[in-house]
Parts: sequence; C-alpha cells; structure tokens
Amino acid sequence: MKPKRILMAKTGLDGHWRGPTIVARALRDAGFEVIMIGMATTAEIVAAAIDEDVDLVGLNIGGHIDVALRAVDAVQAAAPDMPIFAGGTIPPHACKQLEAKGLEVFPPGSMLTDIVDSANRLTGLSTAP
Amino acid sequence: MRPKDPQDTVQACSDIPLKSYYTAEDIPDSHAERINVAPGEAPYHRGFHPSGYRSKPWRIFQLSGFGKPEDENERIKFLLKNGETGFIMEHDRNTADHCYNVDHPEVLARREDVGLTGAVMQSVRDTAICLDGLPMDTSFGHAGGAVVQHAPFALAAYWAVAKKRGYDLTTLPGTGQSDFNLTYLGCITKQQIPTDAGLRFNGDIIEFCTKHLPRWVPVSIAGYNGADTGLTPDQELGSLFANAVEYLDEIKLRGRIPIEVAARGCGGVSFRASIKIFEEACKMRAARLMWSDLLKKRYDIKDERVANLRIHCVTAGSKMAYQQPMNNLVRGALMAVSAVLGGVQSLGVSGYDEALSIPSEHAHQMSVRIQQILMEETGLTDVTDPLGGSYYVETLTAQLVEKSWAFFEEIQIRGGYLACLDSGWLHAKAEENQHKEFMQTESGEANIVGVTMAHDDSSPFEIDGFIGTDDAFDVALERLKEVKRTRHEKGAMTALKDLERVCRSSDNIMPVMMDCLEAEATLGEVGDVYREVFGDWRTPIQC
Repeated sequence: MKPKRILMAKTGLDGHWRGPTIVARALRDAGFEVIMIGMATTAEIVAAAIDEDVDLVGLNIGGHIDVALRAVDAVQAAAPDMPIFAGGTIPPHACKQLEAKGLEVFPPGSMLTDIVDSANRLTGLSTAP
Repeated sequence: MRPKDPQDTVQACSDIPLKSYYTAEDIPDSHAERINVAPGEAPYHRGFHPSGYRSKPWRIFQLSGFGKPEDENERIKFLLKNGETGFIMEHDRNTADHCYNVDHPEVLARREDVGLTGAVMQSVRDTAICLDGLPMDTSFGHAGGAVVQHAPFALAAYWAVAKKRGYDLTTLPGTGQSDFNLTYLGCITKQQIPTDAGLRFNGDIIEFCTKHLPRWVPVSIAGYNGADTGLTPDQELGSLFANAVEYLDEIKLRGRIPIEVAARGCGGVSFRASIKIFEEACKMRAARLMWSDLLKKRYDIKDERVANLRIHCVTAGSKMAYQQPMNNLVRGALMAVSAVLGGVQSLGVSGYDEALSIPSEHAHQMSVRIQQILMEETGLTDVTDPLGGSYYVETLTAQLVEKSWAFFEEIQIRGGYLACLDSGWLHAKAEENQHKEFMQTESGEANIVGVTMAHDDSSPFEIDGFIGTDDAFDVALERLKEVKRTRHEKGAMTALKDLERVCRSSDNIMPVMMDCLEAEATLGEVGDVYREVFGDWRTPIQC
C-alpha cells in the first residue's frame, strides 16, 4: 500500500522548528510520508495540499489564532474532505476555536503516540476512537 | 528521574555518567590544583570577584515586549517599577527578524500576528516612542536586534534616540545581541542574509562600538538559543566558544582594533539555565574557566580584566509546561537557583505562562518576584561560589570542560562554527537530542509533573494565554505611511543609496546605518538593500 501523505506547514513567520521536527520524525517513523513546507502563507498551504495530493494537513501554530483559522477555512473550502490537525503554542481559548472547526489539536505536552494515533485515524488507517 | 535499581547508571544531560556519590578521588588531577583557587583568581571558574553578590547583585533582566511601541514602553516601565534593574526591548518577529515593513506581502498575509512577539519598530520614530521616559543613560538597556540582519538597524535606532536626547554615546551603557544561534540555528527566519554577511555585520558592530560606544556590549552570543533548540550543556559551551572564535579571528584578520578590546566586547554572553540544577551551575563555572583559557592560549591575551566572562542567564522556556502552569513558578525559581549557584551576573526568569503565550503582566511580575526572593531572603548571595570544593561539583565541572572542548574541536574539524550552521551539522545534533529527550518522556523513563504524571483533569487549565493588543498592525501601517509622507525624502533616499554602496564595499556599515536611521529610512527599505546585495541564506533544514 502506498504510504499516506501528510503536509506540514507553519502558519506564522516564527521559525522555531523544534516542535514540528519532532512530530514529523514520529510520523515518518510510523510510516507516513511527510512533506514539510515550513513557514507558509494560506495560499501556499492550500496550493501545496492540492499539488502534493496529501491525505492530511498538519498546521504548526505559534502566532495569532486568526491567521491559523484563515488557513483552516481556505483548506476546507478548497478540499472539503481534507482532514486537518494542529499543534504548537496554542492557548486553551484558541484550541476550542480550532476544535469547533473539526480539527484535532495538540498543545505542548501532547504525546507523540497520540499524534500518530490521530494521523492514523484521520487518514483512515485506523478506526479506533 | 529515579533509576529502577540504585546501581543503574544515571546520565547527566551532557551524557556524562553520574555516580551515586563522589569523593576526592573522583576529581581529575588536572582540576585538583584549581580547587584551592579563590573566586577572583584565574581561571575564574569560582567567579570573577571574591565578594561576588555581596558587592554586586545580579541584574534582573526580563525579556519584554508586544504590540505597539507604547505597549512595550508601558510594560518595560511596569517591570522597572517592580524591581527590574535593566530593560530589554523585544521587536516583532514578523517585521524585525525579516527586515520587512508591515506592508510586505509576507506580513500582510499574517497581519494579526504583527505585534504578538514584540513591538513593531519600523523607523526611529517608533523606537523613540518605545524608549519614551526610560532611563537610557543610567540603566543597562538591551536594544533588541537579536537576529543578525536586524541588529545594525535596531542598534542604530537606539543610539540615534540616545543622541537626540543629548546622551553621550561614549558613556552609554547597554547591549546588542545579533546572535547566530538564534538566527541560523534556533529560530530560522523565512529570509535572512547568509552567514558570511552576518559575520561581517558583527565585525562591523564590534569595531564601531570600540570606537564610539566603549561601554556598550556590541554583540552577545546566546548559548541559550542553541540549548533550547536541543544542544546539551557541553555542546552549548563548545558551540558558544566556537562562535566566539569566529568573531575574534575575523577581528584579528581585519587588524584594525586590539584583540583585547574585541575580546572584552565579546565576553558578555548568555546561557540557558535549565532544570538539572548541579549540571547547570557547573556549566557556568566551566564557561568562565574555558573563556579565560581560550583567550590566553589562542590569542595570547594577558589582561586579566578581559578574562572576565559576564554571563546573562535565561531559564529554559522549553521546560515550562502547558499543563498546570502554576507549577512553572517552582520550575522558574529552581532554574534561577542553578544560575545563581553558578555565579551569573544577570538573569531573566521565564513567565509561568511561557508554554501558552508571551508573559502576562502578572507572569512578568512573578518572574521579578522570584528573583527578589532569591536575592533578599534565601542566603544564596551570602557566600561566593557556595558549591566550590564539592567533590561532585568540581568533578562535573572538570568533566564538562573536557567534553565541551571536545565538541569545540569537532566543530573546528568540520570547518568551524559557521560551516556547521551552513551544513546543518549543528541542527542535526540538536534534533537528535530533542528526539532522545522526547522519547525518554514518551517511554515513561523521565517524568514531567502535571504532564506525564500527577494529572489533574478536574482543572486542566488555570489560566488562558495572554493576548496583547489588537491594533498593532493598523497603527504600524498608519505610522509607516506617516513617516514616508513627512520625512525628508531626498535625505532618506541618499542614505539608502549610501548604504547600498557601503554594503557592496568592505567599509563599516554602522556609520551609514546611523545616517539611515537619522534620515528616517525604514526597516523594510534597509532590508530591501540587504536582499539586493547579499541575497538569501540557504537553510539547511526545512522549517
């Protein structure tokens, strides 16, 4: 079976790469193909999600939640069935806003196994709750 | 972390095996002769001054800033009122680190992010607002400019404001940063001048300060930014000194100023104070010893005053947990203890809300209070180098020195510190350590209270993140238009043309950068010159 593909992007212009790199490695170790595009605008994220024909979009969020919400809206408009998950320094009020849009959210302190489980579920590799 | 069996090996973060207790036999012979050295005597691992904190308390120095320049000004005044003894200007990452104005497409695409991580300062007018009423002449100010390509602009803006207020630059106290670890390792920007151009900028800043601002710390290497990206304490030390020799070799090659003066200028550094108390205290002791050794052996510097490595510490942001954030007050205090036991001169404690947002006013106040309690109530300041002579601490200090020099040599073999940034070798080291540390937590080998144990699901969050102001972008855009409309346009254009000419030559860029700021050239215009002349650094990792 072809490995499932995950796009990972940072919505902000803040280049702290520790978090997304750890997550990308865990996802690759779990058999996913990860396409990292780093700091990207909403337009770049949407274009990459389509061009790269990914099964899941992962957003690393370190800035204002409105910037991230705009990226989520744009991806969902362009690809209504595309699952999205998010991680980063996301305060509780912002987690709720993302969850309301159907995202699974992983703030600091999340376990990699939970993130991998989520990727499996969101790409249809597992049906476990 | 407790081993399953007491006889099992426990490793320090620097991958040094720790015994369950130490005796005099453990102290390496090479270090034994240093045991009876007093603080104030070479090689200074015990501190530079015999009376330590009795004669001079450490500087309470907190990173601060968000929103509009006036928001940052208000927060700095709040901190000074609460007992901070220096002040740090923090600039907005989107604009400052990239040298973009707010009307750049990359910024427009993220307008709500503007002002979230520091104030927006696109011209000297903005810097003047941020510094309004601040004691620039008497207080040790950090002008910002942490990222290499931003430093000349940020420094010139600060100095231009000081000049305009009538302060004598030759007596102005303060520090720049222009840190390679932040710029090229820890917090990589989307656009940045290449490392060789960065080295040239830092050389220019060092030479300019030597001539015109002798009390100013021109550049400040931040081991912190390597460590919080994943480098272990020995790697933090080794890479910091590998970075320092790039600067000093450059200055020596130029031959325009005495190497002693440049070394004095480079001797104000910062480290991360993390949670392993003894290893971190040993790291500060090791750092002083290594600096004094390096200057003697590599540069034949005999002036003992130059050997005085001044250390600023910031507690590890990455050790602050998102869950049960009040626990971070304890972590902040203990990390600060490690720095104080290591005899540092300056300290910033991360906010208890570090994992959620930039600090709220209350989090900032608590960071100051932690330091005041340590300073006033605990007796930590009574005796200089209180850990000196401990079998364990002296052994670990000696082992760290040895291991750090080995890492320094590894970097030299690979062409030096800049080459290791360009190739991504340091990034790979950091990533490997991050992964290892994370897997230890993931496997249950290491615990984080409130995260992997001692959960409290009934009250998962006691606070929400701090939200700054929501008008930073709009006001910045308005002020950008205003400055372009009302400045002497011809003067600004001439200064920018001069800047381009100087960038293409080997002349020092700082005099013309002062001209640019005084002519009210803006950040984005200066950045456009850089992009045209120097191009973009090719990042070794995708981030």
